Amino acid sequence: MPAYEFPGGITLLERKDRSNQSPLRNAPLPAQVTLPLKQHTGNPAIPCVATDDAVQVGSLIAKRDGMVSANLHASISGTVTQVSDSAITIDADGLDRWQALPPLDWRTENHAVLIDRLDSCGLVGLGGAGFPSYIKAQIADHHRIDTLVVNAAECEPYITADDLALRHYPTDIMEGAQIVARLCGAQQIVVGIEDNKPDAIRALKVALSDFEQINDHPTSDQHRVNITLKVIETRYPSGGERQFIKKLLNLDVPSGGLPADIGVLCHNPGTLLAALRAVRDGKPLVERIVTLTGDAISAPGNYWVRLGTSIETLLLQAGLENQQLYHVIVGGPMMGVPLSTLDTPVMKTTNCLIAATREELPPAPAESSCIRCGACESVCPVQLLPQQLHWYARAESDDTLEKLHLFDCIECGACSFVCPSYIPLVQDYRSAKQRIRVKRIETAKADHAKHRFEFRQARLAREDAEKQARRQARRGQIRQPSDSSKASDSAALQVDLRSLRIAQTAAKAAVRKAEKTLARAAAQDPNQRHDDLETQLATAQENLKAADTRLTEARATMAQQESP
Amino acid sequence: MSMMHASQLTAKSTNAKSLTAKTFNATPPTAQLMRWVIIATLPGLAVMTFYFGIGVISNVLLAGLFALGAEALALKLRQRSLRPALSDSSALLTGVLLGASLPPASPWWLIGIGILAAVVVAKHLYGGLGQNPFNPAMVGYALLLVSFPTYMTLWSPPQSFIPENLWAQIGGTLPASMLDALSGATPLDAFKHKGEAVLAREFWATQPLPEGALSAWRNVALAWLAGGLLLIAKRIISWHIPVSMLVSMALLATLFYASSPSHFASPFFHLTTGAAIFGAFFIATDPVSAATSRRGKLFFGAGIGALVMIIRTFGGYPDAVAFVVLLMNLCVPLLDIYTVPRPTGQPKAQQQTEQVDRS
Ligand code: SF4
Ligand code: SF4
Repeated sequence: MPAYEFPGGITLLERKDRSNQSPLRNAPLPAQVTLPLKQHTGNPAIPCVATDDAVQVGSLIAKRDGMVSANLHASISGTVTQVSDSAITIDADGLDRWQALPPLDWRTENHAVLIDRLDSCGLVGLGGAGFPSYIKAQIADHHRIDTLVVNAAECEPYITADDLALRHYPTDIMEGAQIVARLCGAQQIVVGIEDNKPDAIRALKVALSDFEQINDHPTSDQHRVNITLKVIETRYPSGGERQFIKKLLNLDVPSGGLPADIGVLCHNPGTLLAALRAVRDGKPLVERIVTLTGDAISAPGNYWVRLGTSIETLLLQAGLENQQLYHVIVGGPMMGVPLSTLDTPVMKTTNCLIAATREELPPAPAESSCIRCGACESVCPVQLLPQQLHWYARAESDDTLEKLHLFDCIECGACSFVCPSYIPLVQDYRSAKQRIRVKRIETAKADHAKHRFEFRQARLAREDAEKQARRQARRGQIRQPSDSSKASDSAALQVDLRSLRIAQTAAKAAVRKAEKTLARAAAQDPNQRHDDLETQLATAQENLKAADTRLTEARATMAQQESP
Repeated sequence: MSMMHASQLTAKSTNAKSLTAKTFNATPPTAQLMRWVIIATLPGLAVMTFYFGIGVISNVLLAGLFALGAEALALKLRQRSLRPALSDSSALLTGVLLGASLPPASPWWLIGIGILAAVVVAKHLYGGLGQNPFNPAMVGYALLLVSFPTYMTLWSPPQSFIPENLWAQIGGTLPASMLDALSGATPLDAFKHKGEAVLAREFWATQPLPEGALSAWRNVALAWLAGGLLLIAKRIISWHIPVSMLVSMALLATLFYASSPSHFASPFFHLTTGAAIFGAFFIATDPVSAATSRRGKLFFGAGIGALVMIIRTFGGYPDAVAFVVLLMNLCVPLLDIYTVPRPTGQPKAQQQTEQVDRS
């Protein structure tokens, strides 16, 4: 398969060889973990343990709140020592006892069970913003998916977590991909990888040829998918979702749309590995592969790290030299953020920690004026006009910014990278976007209040319906209806039943629609909270419950009357 | 948050073993950019000096010095710190470009006035580097051309390295009566003023130009071309503006020439005389005042080329690069608005309906 081109892009210093020379290792078990309640897109999870509770590895400690959220599990066995608003702290007992779920066979189990498993294991996307995987797995409900793409581009410098995962677990990752492909109904899987990872490519090829042999076997079954491997040229930001899809499939994801709109679903290898482990081994998401790198540590490499491990401990174990250290960056040097304190835990989305010296990632020199050289424009993978965006962002002309498609910017930083005047363009865009979002939320406040009110109404109505159902049930046991009114009553009930059924169907559709809207909004804007949409979904769910109750109640009454 | 920068690639490429990047498609920082443009003027300046004498160098030196002085003065008045702005070399570049455009051995006061107009008025009154809508060097040049036409048309014919009256000329003490004697027509001048009735063939037959003038101008143009190609090769400028400008000039010139070879000069003549090459590579490409998008640049260059040809052929001035560049600078905001590229994933039809308005 030929590779296609996305516009723009840059070639970077990769600096991947610092961390990809040594095999994957296990980081020592931490003595204490701090697990933030929000390690994913959407609402923080709600704690379901109390201080002094004993937990094992994989015990559920916080439940997801609303649809866009994720469960959280203990990553070490021991005792809960603190439950705060934002995190749960556990002290280890050093035994590392597991509490796993029963294994499932993904080839035979039905979809609902598998999706439920992904949900209960707290699985989220490990490559980016931590989007709950179970929502993505349900995509087939409202979109037709033909292709699952596995994004192993890993285009940012330094990061090698996916590279190592692919070298060590190529078969598992591809099996995970097949699970997801089965859930979303994809006909083909395309794995894309940059040509700077020859070992991972070799491992994948071996794994794929093994699969082919199994697939050729006549006993192999109905859900066979076509798997292709595509090696792409190394060019930043080929791992950006849209750029990646363009490069692999030559498809453009529409602006403001999702890959699902063109029949594509995108997953990262780490997530697929975790998915397989959740299904096959019943292991909740409690550890991940993290790249530890940078010139300020002496033992760089990739490690399996338990979630909640303190970054400082981790780096010290990898030989951190404090006097060398200039800053620690979470993520890659292009899109990552510097840490303000090392006393931060590893989270589900922490893929890389760079302990950089000053020489290696120096502070940006003072910015000078834009000379309109156009360098930024020629590297922008989205074909925006970074220079004009910069101008209008500083002038705070938000309308013009939106017309110049500010929200199509993927914040890849290619423009800042080449700007000869050292203008921190991406920072400008980020703050402009934030400013515009806040404004939008302000204008939506009235709506939100209205939706909350509707939710209260719906809840009251549902409670009423339930109360009435209970009363009816009690009354039904005591008193038989009088014979005289029976005929007319049952006719009326017939009509009533029919309209109740219609109402229930409508309520179901409303729930599905609200789910779809929310899933979409969250996928597009994973860093935002979507309270308003969650409220609307909850309202629809209340309505559905009320409709269900009324219908069951009417049916019960009907049954009573027909069999006196 | 973009902790890497392209400049690291150049800085470290010599010692970093891990450097696997073979292609390097980034631009060096602003100051270096300006310095490269200055370096690229050297071949042109050298050849000009060879033909027109040391007066070329005196122009450039004086203009460069004045420009630095004017920049410092403007910064002082605007209460900005001197160092960063002075060290970005942009004022020096303006000076060099203006100096190279003036007739050799121009008097110091002429240069001074031009520089004041360029640096103080055209650049700093508009807010300094990056904010000026007009090309500063060309503002200075245009002002001088309309205010002091006698001095601005004083192109001496190719002459000895150190002409006799050099110091008097630069010092501005040369009596006005002597000025005319110095002057020799440039090829463009001569052709312009040949008169309607004279056919091109007859004109050339009269040997209207001083010995060697045509070949001198052609060689100067070639030297500028060399510098310009260097800039493109070093990715300091993109090819869009020079190529579109020269192509549109050549096309129009061919059209005119084909329509009536006896009245119009050949395309080769147009490309190798006057400020065509110099303007295409060094003036029109000033990023600050040119269009930004690639398509915008193509229109910008083509517009300059076409207008230059029209003014050279039908207008009152023999050459028109300065005026035309300023004119096209005026169109840049418009060009920028109408050439907004369609971002990846945006529907195609949208571009026609939804234009960005700058209000
Ligand atoms: S790269 Fe920097 S200086 Fe050049 S146009 Fe873009 S913002 Fe301006
Ligand atoms: S950060 Fe945004 S504007 Fe800059 S290159 Fe990337 S997508 Fe384009």
